[in-house]
Amino acid sequence: MKISRILIFAALAGYLAWVVFPMAWVAYSSLKTDEAVFRDTFALPPLDALQTDNYARAWREARFGDYFFNSALVTVSSVTLIVLFGAMAAYALARFYHPLGRATFWLFLAGLMIPVQLSIVPLFFELRALGLLNSKVGLILVYTANGLPFAIFILAGFFKALPRSLYEAAVVDGCTEISAFWRVMLPLAKPGLVTVAIFQFIGIWKEYFFAFMFTSGDAGAGARTLPLGLANLSITSQYRSDYGMLFAGLVMVTLPILVVFVALQKHLVKGVTAGAVKG
Amino acid sequence: MANVTITDLEKVYPEKNGPGVKVVHSINLEIKDREFMVLVGPSGCGKSTTLRMIAGLEEISGGTIAIDNKEVNNVLPKDRDIAMVFQNYALYPHMSVYENMAFGLKLRKFPKAEIDQRVRDASAMLGLDPYLDRKPKALSGGQRQRVAVGRAIVRKPKVFLFDEPLSNLDAKMRVSTRTEISKLHAKLGATMVYVTHDQVEAMTMGDRICVMKDGRIMQVDSPLKLYNHPANLFVAGFIGSPAMNLFKGRLQRATDAADLLEFVETNEQSAKSLRMTLDARLSAGGANHVGKEVVFGIRPEDVLDTLSLAQPNPAHTTEVKVEVCEPMGAETYLHLTTGATSFIARVSPTDRFDTGQSVKVTFKMEAAHLFDPATEQALS
Repeated sequence: MKISRILIFAALAGYLAWVVFPMAWVAYSSLKTDEAVFRDTFALPPLDALQTDNYARAWREARFGDYFFNSALVTVSSVTLIVLFGAMAAYALARFYHPLGRATFWLFLAGLMIPVQLSIVPLFFELRALGLLNSKVGLILVYTANGLPFAIFILAGFFKALPRSLYEAAVVDGCTEISAFWRVMLPLAKPGLVTVAIFQFIGIWKEYFFAFMFTSGDAGAGARTLPLGLANLSITSQYRSDYGMLFAGLVMVTLPILVVFVALQKHLVKGVTAGAVKG
Repeated sequence: MANVTITDLEKVYPEKNGPGVKVVHSINLEIKDREFMVLVGPSGCGKSTTLRMIAGLEEISGGTIAIDNKEVNNVLPKDRDIAMVFQNYALYPHMSVYENMAFGLKLRKFPKAEIDQRVRDASAMLGLDPYLDRKPKALSGGQRQRVAVGRAIVRKPKVFLFDEPLSNLDAKMRVSTRTEISKLHAKLGATMVYVTHDQVEAMTMGDRICVMKDGRIMQVDSPLKLYNHPANLFVAGFIGSPAMNLFKGRLQRATDAADLLEFVETNEQSAKSLRMTLDARLSAGGANHVGKEVVFGIRPEDVLDTLSLAQPNPAHTTEVKVEVCEPMGAETYLHLTTGATSFIARVSPTDRFDTGQSVKVTFKMEAAHLFDPATEQALS
């Protein structure tokens, strides 16, 4: 019994190190000079010579400030739209009967099954026709459309599981259809909303493919997001060799995801296990 | 406060390739102002559907419902001025007890001070003061039930609707909450419609009871009238616990009294069967059924141990066998058999009986009933 517990802890500790070490390595390497990185790759940076300058240079020279702002704007807008419209669509599909309701639901699910690479060409032409190529609005629209199937799939399950009598109590209490949704049903789907928000936030924050395709023109320079900036940095650092700055950029890309995840993780676990046991 | 008038009310659920399933058949019911009306019946009798139609949660297929003499068929639930207590309480889990109770008033844009006053009054009345800041999940079943009731009473609606509100509580809690709701009705003097499948709840709480079966009203009357004068076999069997004893047989002219009738039980197994001379009232009721099949009904408490009577009427006395003796403490249920029919007598706990023993019982004929088995209607 005791030995098996020790073994379990040892295995878990090993796994923890396996997962955490690369992140820690990136984090502390971002405070080293290029020379220090090469001389002693895994050593901790000397405390008296922390290269916080790496961050300043990444922010200004590699224009990470602009990329960061673009990423934040695109991600927050897209996630907001996905959660908002996803919740409304899922609610309607889960709780109202419509002859085409089922078909609509399956249509959304089909969106989950089609690889995004297949849709890239028609999307490109569509965005160009709309004049939204190389713009943040175009990216937001594409991300929102791409995120809706997942949101609807998850949230429809949540809304279906809510007892009908809660809705009935709300309408007897004085709610209209819309206020019953906003004031009673939507707050109860919070674990589902958080689950969707986290998954979409992570997915869109680190999204590269769409961003690369739709902001590749010269006009797109002002709309590019962090993953593109990072890629640009890694390409240029091949010739210039500025690994300290590259690591600083990596930290800047990773940190917001970590923060969002840690802040909302409690709800995420609730969301994933919701309905597993009688509450 | 208000009356509720139900006229020719129908509910049909649509069905694929069919005319639809009719669950409420053209019922008529007048619920008076300040009345406590109980809708009772076995599951599937349409009582909850009727209540939900009054609430506006279920569409009306035919007929009308009027609250306070205004037709509400096409009025939204929120505009009907009703409050409803649900079987599973339906408290909003994300709101505190206070917020749950205040929600309806907030939606109706009451001033903050008045909301607070009403919530505090209701919580004091229901003993919820210590729990106002708690979420529903931190409450026991009985407390949740009280919050659900509190949410209804703060609104001061025209009509209160209760949909089996006690069925999720344990037996003890059910009895005490039953009394609380009755007290509340007396205090508020409100019109209340209460749905239950439990005839004890119906008997103890209702000013009047509406007994339903298969989407039809069987009888509407005060509890004691229903108990003492059931209009048909269904009500006779449904109201009362243990249920009324029913004997199948036929009527014939009494051999010893020319103006009276005699009930002879049908007993295919043996020649021996229950024979009982009826009294004048029952004889008059059964006059048109001489020689025909009838059902004779008598409640367990009206089957008396002959030995306990000072002057038993020999015409109403018969000898039967004891099958089982169930002492309940305050009384004893004696399971008896005539040979063809098993029936129950409710006797004094001091009487002792053994299984298989023969006993003489006397029927209290003035409390007995006759029913026509074809129409199931009462004859007496």
